[in-house]
Amino acid sequence: MLLVVTYSREARTSLRNACRSHEATVARRLGRAALLEETCLGAFLALRLREKHGGDVQVERTAPLNEYADVPADVRAAAAAYEARDAPSTPYGKFASGTEHPSPAALRDREL
Amino acid sequence: MRVVVDGRTLTGRGVDLRDATVPPGTVVEAVFADGPVDGVRVRSPPPGPLHDELAHVEPSPAVSLRGALAAAARSRGERAPEREALVEARTALAAHEVPTVDLAAERRRTAEAGGRERELSERVAGLRGRVQALREAGLDASEAEAELREAVRALSEAETERVAAEQRLDSLRAAASEARDARRRRLALQDRVSNLERAARRSLAERLYAEFRAAVAAVPGEGDAGGAPGEYEGDPATAALAVVRVASPAAPVVVSVDRFDDAATAARRLDAPVVLARSPADATP
Repeated sequence: MLLVVTYSREARTSLRNACRSHEATVARRLGRAALLEETCLGAFLALRLREKHGGDVQVERTAPLNEYADVPADVRAAAAAYEARDAPSTPYGKFASGTEHPSPAALRDREL
Repeated sequence: MRVVVDGRTLTGRGVDLRDATVPPGTVVEAVFADGPVDGVRVRSPPPGPLHDELAHVEPSPAVSLRGALAAAARSRGERAPEREALVEARTALAAHEVPTVDLAAERRRTAEAGGRERELSERVAGLRGRVQALREAGLDASEAEAELREAVRALSEAETERVAAEQRLDSLRAAASEARDARRRRLALQDRVSNLERAARRSLAERLYAEFRAAVAAVPGEGDAGGAPGEYEGDPATAALAVVRVASPAAPVVVSVDRFDDAATAARRLDAPVVLARSPADATP
Protein backbone atom coordinates (compact mmCIF):
# COMPACT_ATOMS: atom_id res chain seq x y z
CA MET A 1 0.00 0.00 0.00
CA LEU A 2 0.99 3.65 -0.18
CA LEU A 3 1.69 5.33 3.13
CA VAL A 4 1.17 9.10 3.04
CA VAL A 5 2.37 11.06 6.06
CA THR A 6 1.81 14.82 6.37
CA TYR A 7 3.96 17.33 8.23
CA SER A 8 2.01 20.60 8.18
CA ARG A 9 -1.49 21.74 8.99
CA GLU A 10 -2.22 22.58 5.37
CA ALA A 11 -0.99 19.19 4.15
CA ARG A 12 -2.94 17.41 6.87
CA THR A 13 -6.12 19.25 5.83
CA SER A 14 -5.55 18.37 2.17
CA LEU A 15 -5.02 14.72 3.09
CA ARG A 16 -8.23 14.74 5.14
CA ASN A 17 -10.15 16.22 2.23
CA ALA A 18 -8.63 13.78 -0.26
CA CYS A 19 -9.55 10.87 2.02
CA ARG A 20 -13.10 12.14 2.34
CA SER A 21 -13.65 12.38 -1.38
CA HIS A 22 -11.94 9.07 -2.22
CA GLU A 23 -13.06 6.70 0.52
CA ALA A 24 -12.73 3.62 -1.66
CA THR A 25 -9.03 4.32 -2.23
CA VAL A 26 -8.26 4.85 1.46
CA ALA A 27 -7.40 1.62 3.23
CA ARG A 28 -6.79 3.25 6.61
CA ARG A 29 -6.72 6.77 8.03
CA LEU A 30 -4.28 7.34 10.89
CA GLY A 31 -4.45 10.93 12.08
CA ARG A 32 -2.07 12.90 9.90
CA ALA A 33 -1.27 9.83 7.82
CA ALA A 34 -3.19 7.45 5.62
CA LEU A 35 -2.70 4.15 3.85
CA LEU A 36 -3.91 4.32 0.28
CA GLU A 37 -4.71 1.38 -1.95
CA GLU A 38 -1.91 0.48 -4.30
CA THR A 39 -3.72 1.59 -7.43
CA CYS A 40 -2.90 4.33 -9.88
CA LEU A 41 -5.61 6.41 -8.22
CA GLY A 42 -3.84 5.95 -4.89
CA ALA A 43 -0.59 7.06 -6.48
CA PHE A 44 -2.34 9.97 -8.20
CA LEU A 45 -3.71 11.22 -4.86
CA ALA A 46 -0.34 10.84 -3.14
CA LEU A 47 1.49 12.66 -5.92
CA ARG A 48 -1.05 15.46 -5.97
CA LEU A 49 -0.49 15.99 -2.27
CA ARG A 50 3.27 15.96 -2.73
CA GLU A 51 2.98 18.37 -5.66
CA LYS A 52 0.93 20.75 -3.55
CA HIS A 53 2.81 20.53 -0.26
CA GLY A 54 6.32 19.44 -1.23
CA GLY A 55 8.42 18.24 1.70
CA ASP A 56 5.42 18.30 4.01
CA VAL A 57 4.20 15.11 2.39
CA GLN A 58 6.09 11.85 2.71
CA VAL A 59 5.10 8.94 0.51
CA GLU A 60 6.31 5.40 1.17
CA ARG A 61 5.36 2.08 -0.30
CA THR A 62 4.52 -0.57 2.28
CA ALA A 63 4.25 -4.30 1.96
CA PRO A 64 2.49 -6.78 4.25
CA LEU A 65 4.83 -8.72 6.50
CA ASN A 66 4.65 -12.49 6.46
CA GLU A 67 6.64 -13.36 9.55
CA TYR A 68 6.93 -17.01 8.47
CA ALA A 69 8.59 -15.99 5.22
CA ASP A 70 10.34 -12.74 6.14
CA VAL A 71 11.44 -13.08 9.77
CA PRO A 72 14.08 -15.57 10.95
CA ALA A 73 12.68 -18.33 13.15
CA ASP A 74 14.78 -17.39 16.19
CA VAL A 75 13.38 -13.86 16.14
CA ARG A 76 9.81 -15.18 16.02
CA ALA A 77 10.60 -17.58 18.83
CA ALA A 78 12.16 -14.80 20.90
CA ALA A 79 9.11 -12.57 20.51
CA ALA A 80 6.74 -15.36 21.48
CA ALA A 81 8.86 -16.44 24.45
CA TYR A 82 9.28 -12.86 25.72
CA GLU A 83 5.54 -12.17 25.59
CA ALA A 84 4.99 -15.40 27.56
CA ARG A 85 7.53 -14.41 30.25
CA ASP A 86 6.65 -14.83 33.92
CA ALA A 87 7.78 -11.45 35.22
CA PRO A 88 6.23 -8.58 33.20
CA SER A 89 8.86 -6.13 34.46
CA THR A 90 11.86 -8.02 33.02
CA PRO A 91 13.42 -6.04 30.17
CA TYR A 92 14.13 -8.03 27.03
CA GLY A 93 17.92 -7.75 27.33
CA LYS A 94 17.87 -9.37 30.72
CA PHE A 95 15.35 -11.95 29.61
CA ALA A 96 17.49 -12.97 26.63
CA SER A 97 20.86 -13.16 28.37
CA GLY A 98 22.02 -16.69 29.05
CA THR A 99 19.35 -18.13 26.73
CA GLU A 100 19.43 -19.06 23.06
CA HIS A 101 17.39 -15.89 22.29
CA PRO A 102 19.25 -13.16 20.41
CA SER A 103 20.40 -10.08 22.33
CA PRO A 104 18.87 -6.67 21.54
CA ALA A 105 22.18 -5.62 19.96
CA ALA A 106 22.26 -8.71 17.76
CA LEU A 107 18.69 -8.00 16.66
CA ARG A 108 19.55 -4.41 15.86
CA ASP A 109 22.48 -5.34 13.67
CA ARG A 110 20.69 -7.95 11.60
CA GLU A 111 18.91 -6.77 8.48
CA LEU A 112 15.54 -8.31 7.90
CA MET B 1 -15.70 60.70 14.84
CA ARG B 2 -15.84 62.81 11.72
CA VAL B 3 -17.18 61.44 8.44
CA VAL B 4 -16.88 63.24 5.13
CA VAL B 5 -19.14 62.00 2.36
CA ASP B 6 -20.64 63.63 -0.75
CA GLY B 7 -19.05 66.93 0.31
CA ARG B 8 -20.84 66.84 3.68
CA THR B 9 -19.11 66.53 7.02
CA LEU B 10 -20.90 64.61 9.76
CA THR B 11 -19.68 64.39 13.33
CA GLY B 12 -20.73 62.67 16.52
CA ARG B 13 -20.64 59.28 18.23
CA GLY B 14 -23.36 58.16 15.85
CA VAL B 15 -23.37 59.07 12.15
CA ASP B 16 -26.18 58.25 9.77
CA LEU B 17 -25.17 57.52 6.16
CA ARG B 18 -28.35 55.70 5.19
CA ASP B 19 -29.35 58.48 2.82
CA ALA B 20 -25.94 58.53 1.10
CA THR B 21 -25.20 56.50 -2.02
CA VAL B 22 -22.38 54.59 -0.34
CA PRO B 23 -22.62 50.82 0.14
CA PRO B 24 -21.79 49.58 3.66
CA GLY B 25 -18.69 47.72 2.47
CA THR B 26 -17.16 51.02 1.36
CA VAL B 27 -17.85 52.56 4.76
CA VAL B 28 -16.13 49.58 6.43
CA GLU B 29 -13.12 50.05 4.17
CA ALA B 30 -13.07 53.74 5.02
CA VAL B 31 -13.02 52.89 8.75
CA PHE B 32 -9.84 50.86 8.15
CA ALA B 33 -8.28 53.32 5.69
CA ASP B 34 -6.17 56.36 6.51
CA GLY B 35 -7.53 58.35 3.60
CA PRO B 36 -10.78 58.54 1.65
CA VAL B 37 -12.28 55.43 0.00
CA ASP B 38 -14.58 56.10 -2.96
CA GLY B 39 -15.35 59.56 -1.66
CA VAL B 40 -15.89 58.48 1.96
CA ARG B 41 -13.50 59.47 4.68
CA VAL B 42 -13.84 58.33 8.28
CA ARG B 43 -11.66 60.07 10.85
CA SER B 44 -11.56 58.16 14.11
CA PRO B 45 -9.13 56.29 16.31
CA PRO B 46 -7.76 53.26 14.45
CA PRO B 47 -9.68 49.96 14.53
CA GLY B 48 -8.71 47.62 17.35
CA PRO B 49 -9.32 43.99 18.28
CA LEU B 50 -13.12 44.07 17.86
CA HIS B 51 -12.77 45.16 14.24
CA ASP B 52 -10.64 42.13 13.40
CA GLU B 53 -13.73 40.01 13.99
CA LEU B 54 -16.66 42.35 13.79
CA ALA B 55 -16.39 45.68 11.99
CA HIS B 56 -19.78 45.48 10.32
CA VAL B 57 -23.14 44.33 11.67
CA GLU B 58 -25.03 43.21 8.57
CA PRO B 59 -28.28 41.32 8.16
CA SER B 60 -26.62 37.89 8.12
CA PRO B 61 -23.22 38.36 9.74
CA ALA B 62 -20.92 35.39 9.19
CA VAL B 63 -19.04 35.69 12.46
CA SER B 64 -18.36 33.09 15.10
CA LEU B 65 -19.98 34.28 18.30
CA ARG B 66 -17.15 32.90 20.41
CA GLY B 67 -14.53 34.69 18.29
CA ALA B 68 -16.49 37.94 18.28
CA LEU B 69 -17.00 37.86 22.05
CA ALA B 70 -13.31 37.16 22.58
CA ALA B 71 -12.50 40.14 20.35
CA ALA B 72 -14.95 42.25 22.36
CA ALA B 73 -13.15 41.26 25.54
CA ARG B 74 -9.80 42.21 23.99
CA SER B 75 -11.21 45.57 22.92
CA ARG B 76 -11.79 46.19 26.64
CA GLY B 77 -8.19 45.34 27.40
CA GLU B 78 -8.95 41.94 28.90
CA ARG B 79 -6.32 39.25 28.58
CA ALA B 80 -6.87 35.54 28.42
CA PRO B 81 -5.07 33.38 30.99
CA GLU B 82 -3.54 31.54 28.01
CA ARG B 83 -1.96 34.71 26.65
CA GLU B 84 1.56 34.22 27.98
CA ALA B 85 1.75 30.62 26.82
CA LEU B 86 0.36 31.71 23.47
CA VAL B 87 2.98 34.42 22.98
CA GLU B 88 5.66 31.89 23.88
CA ALA B 89 4.31 29.28 21.48
CA ARG B 90 4.02 31.81 18.66
CA THR B 91 7.58 32.95 19.22
CA ALA B 92 8.81 29.36 19.20
CA LEU B 93 6.89 28.70 16.01
CA ALA B 94 8.27 31.80 14.29
CA ALA B 95 11.81 30.79 15.21
CA HIS B 96 11.36 27.16 14.18
CA GLU B 97 13.24 26.38 11.00
CA VAL B 98 12.71 23.34 8.84
CA PRO B 99 15.31 22.06 6.41
CA THR B 100 14.08 21.25 2.94
CA VAL B 101 13.54 17.67 1.85
CA ASP B 102 13.29 17.19 -1.85
CA LEU B 103 14.69 13.93 -3.12
CA ALA B 104 12.78 13.92 -6.39
CA ALA B 105 15.94 14.42 -8.47
CA GLU B 106 17.67 11.54 -6.67
CA ARG B 107 14.65 9.28 -7.01
CA ARG B 108 14.53 9.99 -10.72
CA ARG B 109 18.26 9.31 -11.12
CA THR B 110 17.94 5.99 -9.27
CA ALA B 111 14.93 4.98 -11.34
CA GLU B 112 16.67 5.85 -14.61
CA ALA B 113 19.82 3.98 -13.61
CA GLY B 114 17.67 0.94 -12.78
CA GLY B 115 15.92 1.19 -16.13
CA ARG B 116 19.21 1.36 -18.06
CA GLU B 117 20.54 -1.63 -16.17
CA ARG B 118 17.45 -3.69 -17.02
CA GLU B 119 17.68 -2.78 -20.71
CA LEU B 120 21.34 -3.69 -20.89
CA SER B 121 20.89 -6.93 -19.06
CA GLU B 122 18.21 -7.93 -21.58
CA ARG B 123 20.58 -7.00 -24.37
CA VAL B 124 23.37 -9.09 -22.85
CA ALA B 125 21.05 -12.08 -22.57
CA GLY B 126 19.99 -11.65 -26.19
CA LEU B 127 23.59 -11.39 -27.44
CA ARG B 128 24.64 -14.43 -25.42
CA GLY B 129 21.94 -16.44 -27.12
CA ARG B 130 23.05 -15.18 -30.53
CA VAL B 131 26.71 -15.97 -29.92
CA GLN B 132 25.82 -19.45 -28.76
CA ALA B 133 23.53 -20.03 -31.74
CA LEU B 134 26.20 -18.89 -34.18
CA ARG B 135 28.80 -21.13 -32.58
CA GLU B 136 26.49 -24.12 -32.59
CA ALA B 137 25.79 -23.52 -36.26
CA GLY B 138 29.53 -23.40 -36.87
CA LEU B 139 29.34 -19.81 -38.09
CA ASP B 140 31.61 -16.85 -37.41
CA ALA B 141 30.57 -15.39 -34.04
CA SER B 142 33.38 -12.87 -33.68
CA GLU B 143 31.25 -9.83 -34.46
CA ALA B 144 28.51 -10.91 -32.04
CA GLU B 145 31.16 -11.68 -29.42
CA ALA B 146 32.53 -8.16 -29.73
CA GLU B 147 29.05 -6.73 -29.34
CA LEU B 148 28.51 -8.96 -26.34
CA ARG B 149 31.75 -7.82 -24.70
CA GLU B 150 30.75 -4.21 -25.24
CA ALA B 151 27.27 -4.83 -23.81
CA VAL B 152 28.69 -6.64 -20.76
CA ARG B 153 31.01 -3.72 -20.13
CA ALA B 154 28.14 -1.22 -20.42
CA LEU B 155 25.99 -3.37 -18.13
CA SER B 156 28.66 -3.42 -15.48
CA GLU B 157 28.93 0.37 -15.69
CA ALA B 158 25.17 0.76 -15.43
CA GLU B 159 25.12 -1.51 -12.42
CA THR B 160 27.80 0.53 -10.68
CA GLU B 161 25.87 3.68 -11.45
CA ARG B 162 22.61 2.23 -10.12
CA VAL B 163 24.24 1.03 -6.90
CA ALA B 164 25.83 4.45 -6.38
CA ALA B 165 22.49 6.18 -7.01
CA GLU B 166 20.74 3.87 -4.55
CA GLN B 167 23.36 4.43 -1.89
CA ARG B 168 23.13 8.17 -2.36
CA LEU B 169 19.34 8.03 -2.12
CA ASP B 170 19.56 5.91 1.03
CA SER B 171 21.88 8.34 2.77
CA LEU B 172 19.74 11.30 1.72
CA ARG B 173 16.68 9.48 3.04
CA ALA B 174 18.30 9.36 6.46
CA ALA B 175 18.86 13.13 6.30
CA ALA B 176 15.30 13.64 5.10
CA SER B 177 14.05 11.69 8.06
CA GLU B 178 15.75 14.19 10.39
CA ALA B 179 14.27 17.06 8.42
CA ARG B 180 10.86 15.47 8.86
CA ASP B 181 11.37 15.37 12.61
CA ALA B 182 11.80 19.14 12.45
CA ARG B 183 8.60 19.39 10.42
CA ARG B 184 6.76 17.16 12.88
CA ARG B 185 7.86 19.45 15.73
CA ARG B 186 6.70 22.47 13.74
CA LEU B 187 3.33 20.83 13.24
CA ALA B 188 3.11 20.18 16.98
CA LEU B 189 3.87 23.87 17.59
CA GLN B 190 1.25 24.93 15.06
CA ASP B 191 -1.28 22.72 16.83
CA ARG B 192 -0.25 24.12 20.18
CA VAL B 193 -0.73 27.69 18.94
CA SER B 194 -4.17 26.97 17.55
CA ASN B 195 -5.25 25.04 20.64
CA LEU B 196 -4.15 27.93 22.84
CA GLU B 197 -5.91 30.41 20.55
CA ARG B 198 -9.09 28.39 20.81
CA ALA B 199 -8.75 28.08 24.59
CA ALA B 200 -8.11 31.83 24.87
CA ARG B 201 -11.19 32.59 22.77
CA ARG B 202 -13.23 30.27 24.97
CA SER B 203 -11.93 31.84 28.21
CA LEU B 204 -12.60 35.37 27.04
CA ALA B 205 -16.01 34.58 25.59
CA GLU B 206 -17.10 32.82 28.77
CA ARG B 207 -15.94 35.74 30.87
CA LEU B 208 -18.25 38.09 28.96
CA TYR B 209 -21.19 35.78 28.55
CA ALA B 210 -23.37 37.05 31.40
CA GLU B 211 -22.94 40.60 30.14
CA PHE B 212 -23.64 39.43 26.63
CA ARG B 213 -26.90 37.81 27.76
CA ALA B 214 -28.02 41.09 29.28
CA ALA B 215 -26.93 42.92 26.12
CA VAL B 216 -29.05 40.63 23.92
CA ALA B 217 -32.07 41.79 25.92
CA ALA B 218 -30.96 45.43 25.67
CA VAL B 219 -30.50 45.67 21.90
CA PRO B 220 -33.39 45.59 19.40
CA GLY B 221 -34.08 42.23 17.74
CA GLU B 222 -34.85 38.61 18.54
CA GLY B 223 -32.36 36.35 20.27
CA ASP B 224 -31.89 34.03 23.23
CA ALA B 225 -28.38 33.83 24.62
CA GLY B 226 -28.72 30.54 26.52
CA GLY B 227 -25.92 29.68 28.92
CA ALA B 228 -22.84 29.47 26.68
CA PRO B 229 -21.59 30.70 23.28
CA GLY B 230 -22.75 27.53 21.54
CA GLU B 231 -26.29 27.95 22.89
CA TYR B 232 -27.28 31.25 21.30
CA GLU B 233 -30.49 30.96 19.34
CA GLY B 234 -32.11 33.56 17.18
CA ASP B 235 -31.13 36.28 14.75
CA PRO B 236 -27.33 36.38 14.35
CA ALA B 237 -27.53 40.14 13.72
CA THR B 238 -28.98 40.59 17.22
CA ALA B 239 -26.05 38.63 18.66
CA ALA B 240 -23.64 40.83 16.72
CA LEU B 241 -25.28 43.99 18.06
CA ALA B 242 -25.06 42.62 21.60
CA VAL B 243 -21.37 41.86 21.08
CA VAL B 244 -20.81 45.47 20.02
CA ARG B 245 -22.65 46.61 23.14
CA VAL B 246 -20.34 44.67 25.48
CA ALA B 247 -17.22 45.68 23.52
CA SER B 248 -15.30 48.95 23.80
CA PRO B 249 -14.28 49.75 20.23
CA ALA B 250 -12.44 53.02 19.60
CA ALA B 251 -13.26 53.03 15.89
CA PRO B 252 -16.87 53.08 14.69
CA VAL B 253 -18.78 49.90 13.95
CA VAL B 254 -20.74 49.97 10.69
CA VAL B 255 -24.35 48.88 11.16
CA SER B 256 -26.39 48.03 8.08
CA VAL B 257 -29.32 46.25 9.76
CA ASP B 258 -32.45 48.30 10.03
CA ARG B 259 -32.91 48.33 13.79
CA PHE B 260 -32.48 51.96 14.80
CA ASP B 261 -34.41 55.15 14.09
CA ASP B 262 -31.35 57.36 14.23
CA ALA B 263 -27.60 57.22 14.74
CA ALA B 264 -27.59 58.77 18.20
CA THR B 265 -29.97 56.09 19.48
CA ALA B 266 -27.83 53.40 17.87
CA ALA B 267 -24.66 54.74 19.49
CA ARG B 268 -26.40 54.92 22.84
CA ARG B 269 -28.00 51.47 22.69
CA LEU B 270 -24.77 49.88 21.43
CA ASP B 271 -22.60 51.97 23.73
CA ALA B 272 -20.12 52.42 20.87
CA PRO B 273 -19.30 54.75 17.98
CA VAL B 274 -21.61 53.73 15.15
CA VAL B 275 -22.06 54.52 11.47
CA LEU B 276 -25.47 53.56 10.16
CA ALA B 277 -25.24 52.48 6.54
CA ARG B 278 -27.76 51.34 3.98
CA SER B 279 -28.67 47.68 4.09
CA PRO B 280 -26.61 45.77 1.49
CA ALA B 281 -29.89 44.62 -0.08
CA ASP B 282 -30.75 48.25 -0.93
CA ALA B 283 -27.49 48.74 -2.80
CA THR B 284 -27.82 50.41 -6.16
CA PRO B 285 -27.64 47.84 -8.98
